[in-house]
Amino acid sequence: MADVNITVDGRKLTAPAGTLLIEACKSVGIEVPSFCYYPGLSLQGACRMCLVEIAKMPKLQTACTTVIQEGMAVTTASDTVHQARKAMLEFVLQNHPLDCPVCDAGGECELQDMTFSYGASESKLIDFKNHKDEEQWSPVVFFDRPRCILCYRCVRVCGEGMDVWALGIQNRGALSLIAPNQDDHLECEECGMCIDICPVGALTSGAYRYKTRPWEMNHVSTVCLHCADGCKTTLGVRRQGSGNQIVRGDNRDKSGINGDFLCIKGRYAFDFIEHPDRLKQPLVRKNGTLTPASWEEALELVALRFREARDTDGGASMGVIGSSRTTNEENYLLQKFARLVLRTNNIDHHRTADFPAFVNALSGRAHATASMRDVLSAPAVLLIGNDPTYQHPLLAWQIRTNVRLHGARLYVVNSWPIKLTRQAKEFLQIPEGAEDKAAAFLAGDDSAADALLTSKTTREKLAGFREKLQGEQNLVVIFGSELRGQELAALVRAAARGAKYICLGDHANSRGAADMGLYPDLLPGYLPLSEAARFGEPWKSVPQQPGMDLEAMVAAGKERKLRTLYVVGSNPVARYAIDPFALAETFVVVEDLFLTETADLAEVVLPAACAYEKSGSFTNTCGDLQLLRKAGDCEGVKPDLEIIVRIAELMGFDIQQLAPLDPSGMRADFGESRGVQSGEVDQQAIWNRRQGYEPRVSPFNPFAVLKEIQRVVPGYNVGQLELLSGNDVHTATAGRAPGKTEADRFILPSHENLFTSGTLGRYSDVLNRVIEARLRLPNEKEKEIAAD
Amino acid sequence: MQFSDQLEKRFAELQTHYPIKRSALVPMLLYAQDEVGHVSDEVVHEIAARLDLTDLEVRNVVSYYSMLHTKPIGKYNIQVCTNISCMLRGAEKVFDHIRQRLGIGHKQDTPDGLFHLEEVECIGACCWAPAMQVNYTYHENLTTEKVDEVLESLRKKETQ
Amino acid sequence: MNVFSGLAALAKGMAVTFKEMLSPTIVENYPDGPGPLRGAMFQERYRGVHVLQRDENGLEKCVACFLCAAACPSNCIYIEAADNTAEHRISGAERYAQVYNIDYNRCIFCGYCVEACPTDAITHGHGFEVATLNASSLVYRKEQMLAPRPALQGQNAVFSISGEEQLKAEREHGGVGRWIE
Repeated sequence: MADVNITVDGRKLTAPAGTLLIEACKSVGIEVPSFCYYPGLSLQGACRMCLVEIAKMPKLQTACTTVIQEGMAVTTASDTVHQARKAMLEFVLQNHPLDCPVCDAGGECELQDMTFSYGASESKLIDFKNHKDEEQWSPVVFFDRPRCILCYRCVRVCGEGMDVWALGIQNRGALSLIAPNQDDHLECEECGMCIDICPVGALTSGAYRYKTRPWEMNHVSTVCLHCADGCKTTLGVRRQGSGNQIVRGDNRDKSGINGDFLCIKGRYAFDFIEHPDRLKQPLVRKNGTLTPASWEEALELVALRFREARDTDGGASMGVIGSSRTTNEENYLLQKFARLVLRTNNIDHHRTADFPAFVNALSGRAHATASMRDVLSAPAVLLIGNDPTYQHPLLAWQIRTNVRLHGARLYVVNSWPIKLTRQAKEFLQIPEGAEDKAAAFLAGDDSAADALLTSKTTREKLAGFREKLQGEQNLVVIFGSELRGQELAALVRAAARGAKYICLGDHANSRGAADMGLYPDLLPGYLPLSEAARFGEPWKSVPQQPGMDLEAMVAAGKERKLRTLYVVGSNPVARYAIDPFALAETFVVVEDLFLTETADLAEVVLPAACAYEKSGSFTNTCGDLQLLRKAGDCEGVKPDLEIIVRIAELMGFDIQQLAPLDPSGMRADFGESRGVQSGEVDQQAIWNRRQGYEPRVSPFNPFAVLKEIQRVVPGYNVGQLELLSGNDVHTATAGRAPGKTEADRFILPSHENLFTSGTLGRYSDVLNRVIEARLRLPNEKEKEIAAD
Repeated sequence: MQFSDQLEKRFAELQTHYPIKRSALVPMLLYAQDEVGHVSDEVVHEIAARLDLTDLEVRNVVSYYSMLHTKPIGKYNIQVCTNISCMLRGAEKVFDHIRQRLGIGHKQDTPDGLFHLEEVECIGACCWAPAMQVNYTYHENLTTEKVDEVLESLRKKETQ
Repeated sequence: MNVFSGLAALAKGMAVTFKEMLSPTIVENYPDGPGPLRGAMFQERYRGVHVLQRDENGLEKCVACFLCAAACPSNCIYIEAADNTAEHRISGAERYAQVYNIDYNRCIFCGYCVEACPTDAITHGHGFEVATLNASSLVYRKEQMLAPRPALQGQNAVFSISGEEQLKAEREHGGVGRWIE
């Protein structure tokens, strides 16, 4: 678009035609204050804080609704403007209570900032302020009506942004108020976006309410550990008791991959960390019951039994199950541990999508995977299967925002009208479970059309749909675990012309676990076992034949051929409904946060740190790599990385080979920072010294492992500077054809929704309260009706 | 919910007047109120469904307009204008008189459910001030006697 | 001549001495003076150990806004906030301080916390005998600093009273701005 020249405060500036004055000013560093204007939402013009003087216009104009015109001369800081803004503030403050000391927004409040800059803190009115009691709209949303300044941000973000439309404005003039969609409560996705976007403390979070003040916390940006979208969440951390306690999760600086967005899980569901059932001490089975033991005792027992099993029956008798919730470093190290220390390929994890087939199909094509950011800018998006609104909230947000702001064309193929069809240009309803056929049809297989016909889907419609898709350039194709093997490959090969793909896994690091080679037949980067040597000298000893997958391990257990099973952060017994007796003769070691069904069968249970309590990296389902930063502390637990290395060491393995020391001496954050903070003895430093290591570098340094990953795993050779500055970096897929192609029958979608998150969700008080509230309310209404 | 055939016809015609559906919201609410007597939850729900809106959106609009009532009101809605022209010509006296006569105040109903009294802003009858509007009928150049007459005739009409 | 001027100087000097001998003493005889204060005297604005005040209903004035902790230059104030509920009401506002610790190892008695307090909840009392052989006992908890309940209201809040009342309070409750149960 052509550029327009305007003058702001005597200085000339140029911006594309159609730019709003407020944005043009912002681009050159002139801040025009506003409450109601929010980038990306529709214009409101309600607060009138952004009034500016424009030459030749008789009255002050709102900068947020004025589009710049050639030759416009604007004054943003004259006395008139200042006076007008001060008067507007006086209006806003007319009924606003002065309870900043107790208000949760105090310290982060835009109204506070403005009053600070413009004055007007004293009211000219002698009347009492109109007080209304605080209302609770849902377990996580509280509304304090007198604090509301009616900027309508919440209404717009809920409607336009989230497409939920749960908030509205009732009455008019001075009596206007924000109202929830049910009489006195909200029925919504509980995302908390309204709380985040509220410039004052009118909407406050039920989880953080009255806990602390913003300046009392340290803010740690890390990656959400719930779904596979990899939102950046900023955890407010407070020193309390034995270490850092997480008191708030929010989207503070909006610098992440998720922009403005964060869902209920990212915002509130960190409270499982403090659940009383959390394991804080190793448990060892003595006389049939799990009894608390010391770390030394537990680790020595594990190492002893592992060594025995390896040395007598060989690696084939040992199994390892990894996790899709542990970091890349831990996953990489775990498979390295299995292959080099246990000398076995018997390693598997909970698979939620066919990543090997995906990568295989993409081989030889550069830039063929889409990042989460691409979804926001793509001209067209094709979504096959899945329901992102509930399973991938960020992805749904990106699609919605793209459609709303950039007019993207969304094509949806699904067996039922999911919520995103409201944004869709075309919706193809297919019979349940026919996603693979749809993919085949879209890839050009006309014979697949028969299986797709429904009352709403005719042959003509199918053909038209395909034709339209073929006309799309730079299409982003998104599909869930419904597509596997050949169909997936066919779809990926068929679409062309700049098309990019996203394959949806379900857990925070599902993609990372797959990338790091938690497969019995694939090495990190989906390389075949025959290429082990490229990982370095010690890898030449890795067995060449594929190991056992999960099913085979259980079968071996039944035949009493599986001597040990090492389960890291996974609950296969519940997920795959494994017969507990199958593992009766197996020495099971479980590392987890809680006593899961699998841990219940174990001989040794080791309490692990969750992803909010350690550093490392996660790869989201699109392949965007991001760093985790340690936020909270939990007494007694250890990160999986440390546990793996310690077991290896106790088994007599040279741990320098397992976890390389980082010669650059990059700072590790495992226990060290906490030691410094609480003044206690730095166990880590002592251990390091005793082992003869340089201080500040340890085999538990995830960055050292990350460096190795970057060096050896195809696609992960990305800039570390970007990562360290908290940005997401898209990993490329391997440039050649590795791995296998047949459909993966072990894929089991997790079927999570907005309010569940596997074991973690079960122990999250907030999520449980929300689920209960949602279950309870309709019933109560029914009861009332029944009583009438 | 089913409206009368006449209203249904009217609704169907209304839809054709506007390029987007939701524009028909306010007239539909007014017509529905005329038929049902007030905008009940059921009406809100029905109109929301017909216009592809949420109940909340319809309620936002209903609460904005003072002429839309969410609770049942008296059969005759007496709306007395007290804006400047009427006020200068004695509207306040008229309003007070009606208040005393009916024994009810602003936005209240008589116990028999016959009358509902409201003090309203300009009803556009300044030339014949003071004026009041009973449902859709205008009564102009009011005096206390004239008001009595109007009230009496309405009451008589009911008892017959 | 020398003798006279010498005597005169001596007399002048002794005059001052005798005059002071007869006038009442202004030296604080702490710690050997009478009463529980043992002779200690304070200016009214003396900044001693803090007192956490109560309002006229006996509720704590502190609403746990953390402003004192933010203002504190030596970072010695630690607060944990909690919600008031209808059954369990501690302060007048929505929030109260569940934990309120001042670390007198670090406190420099600058009075910034008192100035920062929006509810006049924290004030300086006249407590000054804080010396101890155990540094950990210098972390005072809320209960140690809180003004007593309304039945005794004002009596321990040395800040606002003086003279007789102060002595009476000292006698009855045994501490200056430091409530010992």
